[in-house]
Amino acid sequence: MTLPAVTDPGATRPAAPSASASGRTSLPDAHLTFARVIRSEAIKLFSLRSTWWSIAVAALLSVGISLLMALASGDFGPRFPPIMAIVAPIQFTMLVAGILGAIAVTGEYSTGMIRSSLTAVPQRGAVLAAKALVMGLFLAVASAVIFAIAVVATAPLLSVQIDWSEPAGSLVPVAYGVLSLTAFALLGVSFGFIIRNGAGAIAATVGLLFVAPIVVSLFTMFGPAWEWVIDLGQYLPVSASQTLTAPGAEEVLPALIALLAWVAAGLIGSWAVLRTRDA
Amino acid sequence: MIVAEGLTKRFGDTTAVSDVSFTVQPGKVTGFLGPNGAGKSTTMRMIVGLDRPTAGRVTVNGQPYRASRAPLTEVGVLLDAKAVHTGRSARAHLRAIAATHGVPKSRVDEVIDLTGIASVAGRRAGKFSLGMGQRLGIAAALLGDPQTLILDEPVNGLDPEGVRWVRQFVRYQAAQGRTVLLSSHLMSEMSLTADHVIVLGRGRVLADAALGELVAAWTATTVLVRTPRPTELVEALTGPGVAVTTKEAGVLHIEGVTAAGIGDIAAAAGIPLHELTPTAGSLEDAYLALTGDAVEYRTKVVAEPTQELS
Repeated sequence: MTLPAVTDPGATRPAAPSASASGRTSLPDAHLTFARVIRSEAIKLFSLRSTWWSIAVAALLSVGISLLMALASGDFGPRFPPIMAIVAPIQFTMLVAGILGAIAVTGEYSTGMIRSSLTAVPQRGAVLAAKALVMGLFLAVASAVIFAIAVVATAPLLSVQIDWSEPAGSLVPVAYGVLSLTAFALLGVSFGFIIRNGAGAIAATVGLLFVAPIVVSLFTMFGPAWEWVIDLGQYLPVSASQTLTAPGAEEVLPALIALLAWVAAGLIGSWAVLRTRDA
Repeated sequence: MIVAEGLTKRFGDTTAVSDVSFTVQPGKVTGFLGPNGAGKSTTMRMIVGLDRPTAGRVTVNGQPYRASRAPLTEVGVLLDAKAVHTGRSARAHLRAIAATHGVPKSRVDEVIDLTGIASVAGRRAGKFSLGMGQRLGIAAALLGDPQTLILDEPVNGLDPEGVRWVRQFVRYQAAQGRTVLLSSHLMSEMSLTADHVIVLGRGRVLADAALGELVAAWTATTVLVRTPRPTELVEALTGPGVAVTTKEAGVLHIEGVTAAGIGDIAAAAGIPLHELTPTAGSLEDAYLALTGDAVEYRTKVVAEPTQELS
């Protein structure tokens, strides 16, 4: 492979007679801004095939299960709220969202990319914030689109149609569903930064989202002395999400606070370790 | 200009870098030498804020790297060619880094052309050979058209043409008044590239000098002499500070007298000389003499064959 001659003046920078003796850069507008860091994170996320694979899997899973539930909706009886067919698949897609968030970070650590990222942007808090923002927005938009597809696809199959004039049984659960998936992805991002290892971060994400609620449910067998575990279990991210997405749910504030607190705790924890650790 | 003052880095009980101070001057290529584990990479990582010093400080152009508003234009760094996500194309990788500073796409294309990776820029970096990965790493370092270049083993895995290109490129950059800090284990290459040398061993600065001075201070110039009357010549040369060794009949290696001195003495004594060749020490000789005790991972000396098999 032939490399251009080094002495070619146009090769490294345009021959600028005004360039000062200190050799100032030929890129006077080049400097960091938070908006640019966000743009960089977006390029990073969208230029990986794993991102699109994950979302495709989530879409297939979500819409597929919605269709199955819609098909069976006639047998669920008249008390089955049709919006459940749209939001219930979160039980499965939550893992895809969490894992996507985790690998977006651990992929940087396993490949060494993180060193490129942190030398380009030494303000590590900005890297974390931009990554979380991009991941959150992407998951929000993607899950909104997935739910919209599910709504359209299930309409001909549902025995009782979704009544969009009543938000409590339609738009609100979907909105909380979008929020939940976004939150799960951000929990994955947090575990990614804290654990850094791919397998470890995925295990932690799956553990919190999937295993922890099962463990809590075991305590229902141990009698009233262990009821506090059940009570605390309501504040697990997935339990909070279930409360929020239940049609016509009242008293959602504690669940909403719990879900947001998990995300905040995760991101603050990430920031605490990222700013002090060597990369 | 890079200024390190009392830079120290400890990982648990291990001291990787111990009270290191040096200045890397602009307008020169400074070679950063030392055995594996001497602390070169750790020092470079501290310069760009990836590792936090346990003690001491290091500044680039007068301020800590982390304080810069446009770090990519201050320092271009190649720490290892693997600082690239394997699932991303080379072009996307460069665009993502460029985006943080608003570096235009045209500059991304420029560094792609400059480093000769245009034909593979659309391919995923994980499929790259060592040399291609190295070129991509150099391309990333050049994105911000930086004032200072820090290149850790840039020629590792490059073909001869690439090696020469890196040499000419960094010399050109230094000639432009920029600061270049370059590490390599290839002494012959370093002696062609560097003006100044900093040698680290076991986390300490062993030497910080101009290349020529370092070689002169740590190697002896010997003169190879071929003569039919070696015994007489040795007698004539004998004096304080003169050392003569011989491995082959009629061939002498003489230290402590210049070639001119030997020629004069031989002529005065009427001793014919068939060869008179001064051999200067190399950077490699100087380096090995300097780091002899500081090599952390020493290789066993391979036993020399005691007799020729015929």
